[in-house]
Amino acid sequence: MNNRARTIITGTAFCSPSETHPGLTLISPLCSKEIFLINLLGDIIHNWKIPYRPASYPELLPNGNILYVARIDNGPLSNFEGAGGKIIEMDKNSKIVWEHDDPYLHHACYRLGNSNTLVLKWVKVPQSIAEKVKGGLSPKEENCIMWGDAIQEISSSGELIWEWQAHDYLDSEGDSICPICSRLEWTHITSMDILENNNILLNCMRTNNIIVVNKKTKIIEKRWGKQELSHPNGANVLKKGNFLIFDTGRHCGGEGQGFSRALELDPNTNKMVWSYEEDPPVFLYSCFLGNCQRLPNNNTLICEGTTGRILEVNQRGHMVWEYVIPDYYDSNIWGKNRYIFGAKRYGLDYVGLRNFYDLKKNWILWDDRGNGDIGQSEKKPEQKTQSMEDLIRSRLEPLGY
Amino acid sequence: MGGIARRKLQSVTYYDHEKAFNGYTFFAPFWEQTRAYLIDMKGRIVNYWQLPGRVGEITLILPNGNILYPLRLEIEGSPIFTGFCGCKLLEVDWDGNVVWEYVDNFQHHAIQQLENGNRMLMRIVATPFEIARTVKGGQHLTEDNGNMWSCALKEVNPKGAVIWEWFAYKHLDPEVDTICPLEYRSEWTHGNSIEELKNGDILTCFRYPSQVIIIDKITGEIKWKWGKGEVFHPHNPTMLKNGNILLFDNGVHRHDSYLDYSRCIEVNPKTNKIEWEYKGTPPTEFYSSVAGSCQRLQNGNTLVCETTKGRIFEVTQEKEIVWEYIIPFYAPGISGWGDFNLGHNNYAHRAYRYGPDFSGFKDKDMDPDRFKAINDIYVQQAFKMEEK
Repeated sequence: MNNRARTIITGTAFCSPSETHPGLTLISPLCSKEIFLINLLGDIIHNWKIPYRPASYPELLPNGNILYVARIDNGPLSNFEGAGGKIIEMDKNSKIVWEHDDPYLHHACYRLGNSNTLVLKWVKVPQSIAEKVKGGLSPKEENCIMWGDAIQEISSSGELIWEWQAHDYLDSEGDSICPICSRLEWTHITSMDILENNNILLNCMRTNNIIVVNKKTKIIEKRWGKQELSHPNGANVLKKGNFLIFDTGRHCGGEGQGFSRALELDPNTNKMVWSYEEDPPVFLYSCFLGNCQRLPNNNTLICEGTTGRILEVNQRGHMVWEYVIPDYYDSNIWGKNRYIFGAKRYGLDYVGLRNFYDLKKNWILWDDRGNGDIGQSEKKPEQKTQSMEDLIRSRLEPLGY
Repeated sequence: MGGIARRKLQSVTYYDHEKAFNGYTFFAPFWEQTRAYLIDMKGRIVNYWQLPGRVGEITLILPNGNILYPLRLEIEGSPIFTGFCGCKLLEVDWDGNVVWEYVDNFQHHAIQQLENGNRMLMRIVATPFEIARTVKGGQHLTEDNGNMWSCALKEVNPKGAVIWEWFAYKHLDPEVDTICPLEYRSEWTHGNSIEELKNGDILTCFRYPSQVIIIDKITGEIKWKWGKGEVFHPHNPTMLKNGNILLFDNGVHRHDSYLDYSRCIEVNPKTNKIEWEYKGTPPTEFYSSVAGSCQRLQNGNTLVCETTKGRIFEVTQEKEIVWEYIIPFYAPGISGWGDFNLGHNNYAHRAYRYGPDFSGFKDKDMDPDRFKAINDIYVQQAFKMEEK
């Protein structure tokens, strides 16, 4: 292996049981044909065998199925980062129960409450618009097509219900491409989320901003991020209406370069009300991939994609759980790696976990919180972690955890 | 990768006795730390220098075993931001006594000892306005109060007299040697290294235009220039015996890939072709957004310093890692430039390996047991990890 030091670190590296949000974490290494549900100790509770590797990260639906964008082989744009081509819904036994094919699908999908699915695909930007778009580097080949994004709402029978093409609503000056990204792609949307009023929050990586699209009028109601974000990922909306964003920090100029951060934005004031950076900042960096999720106890789960590291931090920025994917997976492009696009924690009370857990038992366990608090110590992390793992195991094993 | 997990990694994590170039490794964590270290292959300290102030950037060990280092000055009103430049250049002997000093309020990054016993420093100077305004690139209107700084080289003799000077703005092409589009126009060049070639010419490297340059010592003309579009924000070029140039390509603001990764490359200056390359697997596992060094060793291996990971490692020609070390010494807290905090970091700008026959080690006390207390903390546990 190429990097000796970091290969030594695997599995759960730190856990402060009284401070974590109890639940299971869904992880999907990008080059793996398995998706895993792990507990806080890193033990695999369930795994799904998948026919195609993921284009991003899956969602565990309330019915206990998983939904993910699959990366098909030999798609028309398969050399683009995040290429998909197929959306798959799969039950607990890895049986496909629904699928949707479109070779231009990429990155994300979102299951709506009405059981329709929002999908994200690449579409050609008409040349008359493309030539007005500011920024970016021209590709070496002449007469290249610029690819943009479209969002479609698809019914469970595959019918097209609603469509929005980004290039009809973007501003060719205000939504300019990052100065050193190729003009082959305009926005490179990597995630979608739905606001309370049904509007759609989109994360545009290459234009360095997030936008909110009015579902009815299709107009972009809000855009934020220019001069502040650098290749963001996974923008999502929180219960109180704030946005949580993983800012990869790639192609950032000046002093902010070389590290990623998680940040919370109040969209009413455009003020950042919370952010997490590691100490030193460069110790958290994923030049692509990565996401973050706010948990019910106000902790934040952060996935540092290119190192396969997932961490949970509390509101004060203290780490309470840290996990590194223990295995390496083969890839023709990247070599052996543990890349992961994103991770999601599901609380033990989540309805979709019912088939995987005896909830009552686990609630009894976690109601007992407080006694197991070891806290976080920088002085002798090795010893502390060891004794803590023993402690958690001793409490979890009798319960069949 | 950071967090608690990575801080468990300390000192030597891997050592292949057969394939590694056995000797001693020298490094000096910079910006907030005040010590330079010499360690053996097991990571045991055999000497350290308690320095009279913070390490500016690059520190060298000289052929007589003394070290040459820029003590960082915090000069108010220093160009661009406080602390970026200005140093007291010190020569310190094996036991930590200052034996020579020279003050330059505009020094930054590189220093070098020349064959003739003089020292060369990299400095910052104001670019004349009529040239500065023609320089392409950089973010619009980001000059430093209308000023664009650029690099100059200065050679001083042991008495402190200036022997030779060279100004980048007189020789660079404002149309070709453009500033990276994402950087500020407050600086044109951001040079970071000085190497003297056998014929006295100077090999240097400018980060923002991503150009590696050989300067004719006599005429000042640029004899060779390469790098734009091939490497991104490079550091530390050195001339090898085979005539190739080895350098650290940081890969910051790389636009030929959606990954950020660094590499060490060997380029043939006659053909401008890359003849050897080391990359991580996956590529992102080896990346330093600032600084970094690479040194070709006598057995053909290459010693690499991945600055922002505090990681120093040795690779063979076949790209196998045969020795790896994580710097266990972290800066005390707030550090960095101006308002920007680098945090509790373990950065070293460069690392150098010398065999036991190195002239500077002659008649020196190199018994690691002199530092037994500190070696016991960092070395013995970590070294059990992996040893071949």
